[in-house]
Amino acid sequence: MPTRRDTRHGTSGHFWRLLAVFFVFALIAAACGDDDDPSDAAEPAPTTAGDSSSDADDEPGETAEPEPTTAGDSSDDAADEPVEAAEPEPEPMPALSGTIGFIKGPHSAMEVEFEEQIIADFNSQVAPDVTVEFSTYDWPVHVAELTTLFASGSPPDVQYLVDLIYPSFAEQGVLHDMTDLVNDPSWADERANISPFAWDLAEQQGGTWGVPVLGAVYNIFINETLLEEAGLLDSWDDSYESMLAAAEALTTDDVYGFAARTSAADFAWWDWYPYIHNAGGDVLSDDWTECGLVGQDVVDAMQFLIDIHTAGVTPAIGSLDNQGLFDLFAAGRIAILHHETPNIVSLNTDPPDFDWTVAAAPPGPQGHTVMGNFGILSIAEASDNKEAAWEFIKHWASAPQVGRFAEQVSLQVVRTDIIDDLFAENPAMRTVQSELVPRVQGLQPHPQILEALQAAWPVVEDAFRGNLTGEEAIAGMCGAIDGVLAG
Amino acid sequence: MMADVDASPGGTQLTLTPEEHRRLRKRYRRRTTLTAYAFLSPNLAAFAVFLLIPVVWLFVSTFRTGGVLGPAQFVGLDNWRDTFSNPLVQTSIRNTVVYSAMAIPAVFVIAMVLALALHAIPRGGAPTRVALYVPTLQPAVVAAFIFTFVLHPDFGVINYAIRGLGGDPVNFLGDTSLALPTIAGIEVWRGTGFWTMLFLASLTALPSELYHAAELDGAGAIRRFRRLTLPLLRPTFYFAVIFATIVNLQLFDSVFALTDGGPVNSTISVSLYIYRSLFAFGDIGFGAALSFLLVVTVLVLTGLQTFLLRDRR
Repeated sequence: MPTRRDTRHGTSGHFWRLLAVFFVFALIAAACGDDDDPSDAAEPAPTTAGDSSSDADDEPGETAEPEPTTAGDSSDDAADEPVEAAEPEPEPMPALSGTIGFIKGPHSAMEVEFEEQIIADFNSQVAPDVTVEFSTYDWPVHVAELTTLFASGSPPDVQYLVDLIYPSFAEQGVLHDMTDLVNDPSWADERANISPFAWDLAEQQGGTWGVPVLGAVYNIFINETLLEEAGLLDSWDDSYESMLAAAEALTTDDVYGFAARTSAADFAWWDWYPYIHNAGGDVLSDDWTECGLVGQDVVDAMQFLIDIHTAGVTPAIGSLDNQGLFDLFAAGRIAILHHETPNIVSLNTDPPDFDWTVAAAPPGPQGHTVMGNFGILSIAEASDNKEAAWEFIKHWASAPQVGRFAEQVSLQVVRTDIIDDLFAENPAMRTVQSELVPRVQGLQPHPQILEALQAAWPVVEDAFRGNLTGEEAIAGMCGAIDGVLAG
Repeated sequence: MMADVDASPGGTQLTLTPEEHRRLRKRYRRRTTLTAYAFLSPNLAAFAVFLLIPVVWLFVSTFRTGGVLGPAQFVGLDNWRDTFSNPLVQTSIRNTVVYSAMAIPAVFVIAMVLALALHAIPRGGAPTRVALYVPTLQPAVVAAFIFTFVLHPDFGVINYAIRGLGGDPVNFLGDTSLALPTIAGIEVWRGTGFWTMLFLASLTALPSELYHAAELDGAGAIRRFRRLTLPLLRPTFYFAVIFATIVNLQLFDSVFALTDGGPVNSTISVSLYIYRSLFAFGDIGFGAALSFLLVVTVLVLTGLQTFLLRDRR
């Protein structure tokens, strides 16, 4: 009779044999059963009203069904019916109905209230029978949240996506290519009002993945009172050297002369970018195939940033997060601070006891740029109500709506037609919109740009601690970036 | 063949042939086994649905790329090659192991000392036990928030004290050499209450007569601890070591909340890197390979500990 020990060993043996069989099947399944049939991938996306042009091309014999309805889609029909249709009557747009979801990261504690205003206007002015369900994602984990939503197969119809992350979603086929929609002649005037550089950011990988609506410019806040007392107000930003000299002159036991974000968790690269762009470099090369941090000017820019972070004029590296740095500035303890424009609201609402203003980083050898990243409104490929989604995006991106929202949350607009009307009572935001936005050089919307930045940033953190020279840091960053691109 | 039945006045006696005996024994065993599996089946079903199939699926995913947002594609051993050649994987494994090596012994020693002290308190120990257990009830995010105010270089309590004593403030979470030990310290703080209660419960359950006998034989406190307490707590330690290893190798929440893997990747853990690969970068195959590596590591370590801590008597 087997003992308990024998039985246990017997069971264990069975278990491992069973597990081995599972893994063999798993390997076979991985090799054979994958759903990556190239023919599947080549198939066109599911047909929707908005996809009409490609459908017509694919199925030349099936022309009896008219295209669903935009005024600008009439050119082919006109060619078919030259006698009657010199000035074809635009078909009335079918009444929109149903429910669409809209998700966005909050730009204000009152985001929901602001969005409700936009949705109420949409219902009263455009589509009374469409219900818009608004929800927010959390910025620190928004990529994970959006990935989960897209993976669920029923994401919100409309998403606000920033240029740092949308390319990856576009590459994976979860965003609707809006090329036909944004080129609709009936929307041409509105399209022309949006800056070309913003469209460049939204048009990648052979498609248009959204309508650019907002921008966040990364500016410098300066404590004018401190700079004026030191006689540096007019000269601190003449050059990198003058900024470092000013920071050294302003640093005391209670005041740090300069500060910028330093950790990847705070997206510190936004404060680093202008110096690299001003040196003619970028994270990726022009053809996006390799690291673009090349040239002596880039090395010199990196060395300057290392020098200013090791000169004893900043808080200890990594000691303060994004909000901590801003709070210190608001308390009058940082003279020159790299940060972002939504904090202008805080300074206006709760004015500090010193004068302050906004500025750009000093010019570099090859330019005088400002970093900004931009948000687009996209439609999910899985949306089953793309017409309503498109109407809502057009409404959200219209001058009255986007202008009001930008003023409410202190963000920049990418429409050129309303700049003069905005921020009438907010001089700092007027400065940002009129002087900084035109200098913006954004990021390269490569699908792996976030991964490349996150992989390379620890090298910068190490350099800012004085452990690497500018040359070593650039070499290390390029190693990390090229590793991501190769992987 | 029928069994012979002896209907004598003393009662019914059943005589079975050896073949019948084997057959009936086999039937009994089968019935017993089936009954056992019937009772086990809910658990086995849950095990298969929520663990075995996902792990097998995870293993399948290690040979693919994509598959969550787009179609999957077979890539052979590419993900495994990336896993073993990626320096950040090595850094994350090293950080996780170093963290575990700091946190597990520290929390066990502290918890055992506290448990012995509480065990020695004849009455009125309940408030102390509650106070000790409260940190365990704190979610990692709350603990992170608390320790922001404790450790902050500018206004943190500890640095306030250090400055008061004339020292320079310490950048606990921003210094590459201090960040991981600091996180280990926070996790020890959170875990001490749980392990103290576990050890205290085990101490309370130990047979007191053995201690009285040892005391009568002249054994001192240290000798009684070495010769009685530690050997009798062996099953508790067995559970504790394995459980703590499994939990600590999955370090995620406090790192995510406090440092996000920084500074300079000095606190990035395997679980955090898996999270980033899967959810931030959409690199499903690579994340799956790293996840499977973690599963295998936990299994191997658990097996090793089972072997080392087994009762050799």
